Amino acid sequence: MKNLFLLLSVRILAVKNGISSAEPGARKKAIVMIAVGLGFWTLMFVLSSRVLSYFRSTEIIGDILANYLLSMVFLTFFGLLIFSNIITSLSNLYLSNDLELCHSSPASLEEVFISRVIFTLFDSSWMVVIFGLPVMMAYGWVFKPGPLFYFDLFHLGLALAIIASAAGIFVTVVMVSIFPAQKTRDIIMIFMVFAVIALYLMFRLIRPERLVDPDTFFSIMQYVSVLEAPDHPFLPTNWITDVLWSHISRREGESNLLNIMLLWSTALALMVINIWMAGAVYFGGFSKSQEAKRRRAGKGFLDMAVRLMKKPMGDDDIGAILEKDVRIFFRDNTQWSQLLLLGALVAVYLYNFSVLPLERSAIRLDFLQNTVAFLNLGLASFVLASISVRFVFPAVSAEGRSFWIIRKSPLSIKRFLVGKYLIYIFPMLLLGEILIIATNRLLDVSLFMMILSSVTMFFSVFAIVSLGIGLGALYPRFKYENITQVSTGFGGLVYMIISALYMAVIIMLEAGPVYIFFNTDLYKRSITSGEWVMISGSFILVIAITLFTIYKPMKMGIEALKKIE
Amino acid sequence: MNIIELINLTKRYKGLRAVDSISLKVREGIVFGFLGPNGAGKTTTLRMMAGILQPSEGKIIINNMDLKENPEEIKRITGFIPDRPFIYEKLTGIEFLRFIGGLYGLKRVMDLEKRIMELLEIFELDHWCDELVESYSHGMKQRLVMCSALLHDPKVLIVDEPMVGLDPRGARLVKDIFRNEAKKGKTVFVSTHSLDIAQEICDEVAIIQSGRIIATGSPDELKRKAGVDGNLENVFLKLTEGSMLAHEKSLSAS
Repeated sequence: MKNLFLLLSVRILAVKNGISSAEPGARKKAIVMIAVGLGFWTLMFVLSSRVLSYFRSTEIIGDILANYLLSMVFLTFFGLLIFSNIITSLSNLYLSNDLELCHSSPASLEEVFISRVIFTLFDSSWMVVIFGLPVMMAYGWVFKPGPLFYFDLFHLGLALAIIASAAGIFVTVVMVSIFPAQKTRDIIMIFMVFAVIALYLMFRLIRPERLVDPDTFFSIMQYVSVLEAPDHPFLPTNWITDVLWSHISRREGESNLLNIMLLWSTALALMVINIWMAGAVYFGGFSKSQEAKRRRAGKGFLDMAVRLMKKPMGDDDIGAILEKDVRIFFRDNTQWSQLLLLGALVAVYLYNFSVLPLERSAIRLDFLQNTVAFLNLGLASFVLASISVRFVFPAVSAEGRSFWIIRKSPLSIKRFLVGKYLIYIFPMLLLGEILIIATNRLLDVSLFMMILSSVTMFFSVFAIVSLGIGLGALYPRFKYENITQVSTGFGGLVYMIISALYMAVIIMLEAGPVYIFFNTDLYKRSITSGEWVMISGSFILVIAITLFTIYKPMKMGIEALKKIE
Repeated sequence: MNIIELINLTKRYKGLRAVDSISLKVREGIVFGFLGPNGAGKTTTLRMMAGILQPSEGKIIINNMDLKENPEEIKRITGFIPDRPFIYEKLTGIEFLRFIGGLYGLKRVMDLEKRIMELLEIFELDHWCDELVESYSHGMKQRLVMCSALLHDPKVLIVDEPMVGLDPRGARLVKDIFRNEAKKGKTVFVSTHSLDIAQEICDEVAIIQSGRIIATGSPDELKRKAGVDGNLENVFLKLTEGSMLAHEKSLSAS
């Protein structure tokens, strides 16, 4: 097993060297990322603590709710961990570049496999641990269990992570022994997208908002029955929930030995089963994943889509970029499948507006409708920015290691970025207007509000797309395994913050004029000359800020991309 | 007439001078070999000539135009073949060439489809042209990049380590193509550390070591300068050894 430690030390050395040889800006980026992470961590802790304190103060159902939440948290994390392990183990066990070196070395198959299992366990679990910790700490803060709670949380959490990892790796090894690794990844990615959409739609359609309004239920029994956790005595999440709940509810006399033994014996047994299975089928799967397959390109639909989209651009260099981008987008399963997620997001967004209980409010209906419509402008822009960070922001990085082709070509960087801009502006405009007009129709807002919000959205989209392309060029990442990694990096975070700031400023500037228009309409009076000055000033500022946000990021992106080496 | 002129070209990376004030003149219509050991600065020089890297100092003049002043015009008349063929994996071979044709605006000036098919046949990729690039071998990708570099019939071809990943048949084909291009009046600037190739196809060579040009001339002139008989390998070893010693002496003196 001495080779196992050698194989593991490579990763430790890489991390160490990555930190020591970080570029000058990297420290600043790390500080910002840590600050944002800590902010998020604190927010999660505060929110969870408040929810749990509220539960604790509620008689009869308070404990049921806290137990239900604990069970749901573990169930959700367990599911996420299994999915994450499936995807990560595919890379670590079959697709990583250094695997050829490992398999050609005198290290045994088991040593290579176990080292990769440890990488997979770590890569998949750290994020869930970070997000889960504030919730667990909130339980500790609110219910004040004994120190055994923290000890059991630590070692049983590890056992749960090992079980999820072993289950994920098992699925991967079995799938790759049936399909090639590349195809398995595609199948899993599409399956994951469908699973997320199904879960998302299911969660939305059960209308969880009813839970905070028990009046809508006939009896307390009906309410409690809705809260029955979808847990099962054979699920490891049930075992860990039971142990931790016994500490939280201070049932210290209760023996947890059976549940603890169940968790650890399952974790160890699954590890042994996986190593045994790896000996039988892992190398066969790895070998198959190295074989190149002839992959035919899809025709028909794609050709038609390209012809249609290219028509306004013509056959010049920008047309060529568009054609390339569209073909690559629809041939990459990790890319086009995200469109389905986008569809679900928009559908639920619109559904939310259709079930808003505005008529039950004590405030005047027309005033409320228009206020919600105005706030919706910010919300819709945020949805658009979230979509943009996934599709528009990575547009430059999507060139990947082939970016040299663009650099070598006579196409200037400015024209290249303008081309990318033109590719994304039309679909984003369409989406933005659909969101805003459809929600305004559902809210039945006044004509003034309809015009104001659709015109604001129209111009904001130009700024949001410009921010996406410009900052994407300012923070490009040409070396990635999966394009989705680009959006989740530092640049993506900066993009989301600046987009949110931009929209907040626009909404604040427009709030004044909107208030004046409503007031004059309500009290049937005319607008004073001072108010006209204020209205004009606000709109001039909105136009100026929008023009600046369209121009500046693109300019900065062009300059930054010219200097890239 | 000189088609390429490098004037005090320098590239610094965090204090390291990867290319150290080199000056070169290359005549039109020849195959010019750029030789040097690993890490000598060959790829950096070529990437600066292709307009992919910005020089820290100095000038690159191609076809009497300064690359810094007229990057687009120069890129229109040069072709670049990098040592590692990173290309869009999700395009087919023919789609990739059409994309390149679009970038260079070739549809307006030639029968692009005819030209693409010609090149695919020459590089024996015609049967693979409808397959995705991700299914190509390294050598096939390299040949596809060569097709793309020749698509717009460039006046100057800049080639970095052309034989990496090519089988003997492919290597022969590429050597013939370079010689033919030179015969047609085109200039091929090729970097290599394979001295056999340099001896076989180059009219003139320059040897670069530690970022500096240590010798230029035809293979025969270099043999005379170095005072050795035999092939270019002896010349190369003699010249680089001398330069290495001088470099070490200057380091120990400082």
